[in-house]
Amino acid sequence: MARLECINMQLVKRTTDRLCHYWAAVWAENIKEWKLELTYKADFARSLIDPVVYLLPYLLYGIALVGGRESESLRNLVGTADIITFITLGYVFIGFLNMALWAMGFSLRKEQFYGTLESVFAAPVPRWVFTMGMALHSILHQLLMIGVQIVFIILIFSIKINPIGLLPTLLIIALMLVALYGIGMFMASFTLIFKQGGLVSEALASILMILTPIAYPLAVLPVFMQKLALFVPTTYGILGTRHFLMGERIGFTLREAFVRLGMLSLLWVAFGLTVFWIIDRWTRRSGTLGHY
Amino acid sequence: MSGDSTVPALECRDVVKQFRRGRGFKKKVIRAVDGATLTLYPGELFGLLGPNGAGKTTLVRCIATLLIPDAGTIRVLGHDVFKDALFCRQQIGLLTSGERTLYWKLSARDNLKFFAALYGLTGKERDKRIEYLLGLLGLQEVANERLERYSSGMKQKVSLARAMLHDPKLLLLDEPTLGLDPQFGRFIRGFIKEELNKKQGKTILLTTHYMDEADELCARIAFINQGRIVDIKSPEEYKRDIPHKEILKVRCLGQFDGELLKGVSGIERVSAEFNDGVTTLNIVAERAEMVLSEVIEAVRARTRILGVDVQEPTLEDVFIYMTGTSLGADTKEEHETQYQD
Repeated sequence: MARLECINMQLVKRTTDRLCHYWAAVWAENIKEWKLELTYKADFARSLIDPVVYLLPYLLYGIALVGGRESESLRNLVGTADIITFITLGYVFIGFLNMALWAMGFSLRKEQFYGTLESVFAAPVPRWVFTMGMALHSILHQLLMIGVQIVFIILIFSIKINPIGLLPTLLIIALMLVALYGIGMFMASFTLIFKQGGLVSEALASILMILTPIAYPLAVLPVFMQKLALFVPTTYGILGTRHFLMGERIGFTLREAFVRLGMLSLLWVAFGLTVFWIIDRWTRRSGTLGHY
Repeated sequence: MSGDSTVPALECRDVVKQFRRGRGFKKKVIRAVDGATLTLYPGELFGLLGPNGAGKTTLVRCIATLLIPDAGTIRVLGHDVFKDALFCRQQIGLLTSGERTLYWKLSARDNLKFFAALYGLTGKERDKRIEYLLGLLGLQEVANERLERYSSGMKQKVSLARAMLHDPKLLLLDEPTLGLDPQFGRFIRGFIKEELNKKQGKTILLTTHYMDEADELCARIAFINQGRIVDIKSPEEYKRDIPHKEILKVRCLGQFDGELLKGVSGIERVSAEFNDGVTTLNIVAERAEMVLSEVIEAVRARTRILGVDVQEPTLEDVFIYMTGTSLGADTKEEHETQYQD
């Protein structure tokens, strides 16, 4: 009995040590990416300004079409009329989509250009730990961009949100990020195999941008596209966020939203990790891992 | 061989690695490693010597789990590198050839901090280890400067520090002095031999195509050519086993055809290298003095002699004798075969 306990203790210690090691690696990757990013200060500044610049036309276009900030048509569709808050909350999710579709794959590509990918992959951590570090950096970068966007929009237009909805919003976004990590792993695999995975990212980004109800309610999409949108994690992220923060009607219960998103997360992570594992093995067989 | 452990530090058995290149009818199979078998014992400094394209780096990348071989097994401290990859990577310190294996936009310290985390070092233990290595390699004063301002030799020192960060039992050093100036090359060689091997007792697999380097550093050397391990011996054994004893080197002005000396009795083989207007003739003979006068006469009849020297065979001579290929040759196209679909 005592021996069994001792073995269990050893197992727990080994698992804890391993998790601490992996977390240190994830954090180190994130810190390294920040340091590299901040060596190009002009690019970094542009990455914060661009999202604001790209958001403005959406808002101005909306105001021009509606003839003001409130839209009765929007109220009839989703139960809220404030198009500025509606579009702003939806728009921040473009950044999260970009994280999944571009950032992780592009980070691997950068490592190939630097010549450091093999050195990193020779370290005693699984690949998913390294890509998780990239994802963490992308998420933090994204949050910084969202912060800048929101401050700017508040200063010009002001946003009306329900602060009580912030906690469930963070929960649904966290769940969505897990699913996006799976998509990111899938996209990163393309970088390993095709090197220039941009074409695939661009194609997928275009499809997902249409399916995800960023600047319009889900109800305006044709029915088959509405059904397809339910397989995209960002749909639940956006609908949930707008529901919690501004009372958008979402057409299904919150329980359903969390369960579906949870299942999507599981599926995407399993799919992304499996594809990445297969392609990583393929590159190690073909000897093309470090090629650029 | 040193160390008395029964478990070899590294064991490669019949390792085969081939690459497919090209498409359709032009598809070729390049057999980069062709049945390589070698064993390194704990504390041994082992050399893998061969020309460019012989398969040295491919074998190292297989050991480091960056490539998956098509056949054979590789074990590090008794563990299979593919079944137990994470354990094996923790035991291996890898120094790959080429400068671009570090982040040039980061300082040496930041590079080492990043890689330390990947190898499970954090906090004070990490900082202590990094300071120790920076001090050991004389990098403390420049440790906070970005690598882009470093010379090639200094970058190589940082690469060495990275390979040693987690105090690995097995070091894979792939062409560690490639492209370095003589001063840094001498430092790195001394560091490998005295500090890493003698003082710290590391097991080291060193790949090189510099025969002086292998001769100076390694207790045993594997000759590798066209993906095959030709032989494994100590440098002394190689030189002793070569059937001819002496090499007459004659330097003469202009281009001189070595074939013209083939008729001289007592000469076993002649090779000629032409460089910067000077031909160096390497004449292999049982005894150099027996052919000396005839060779000088034959050369002097056509050109001016700049120098004559009699040497013991070097590892390069042994390599040429055993493989028919010079260490300076690029053999990567030689072991290609047409791929049959």
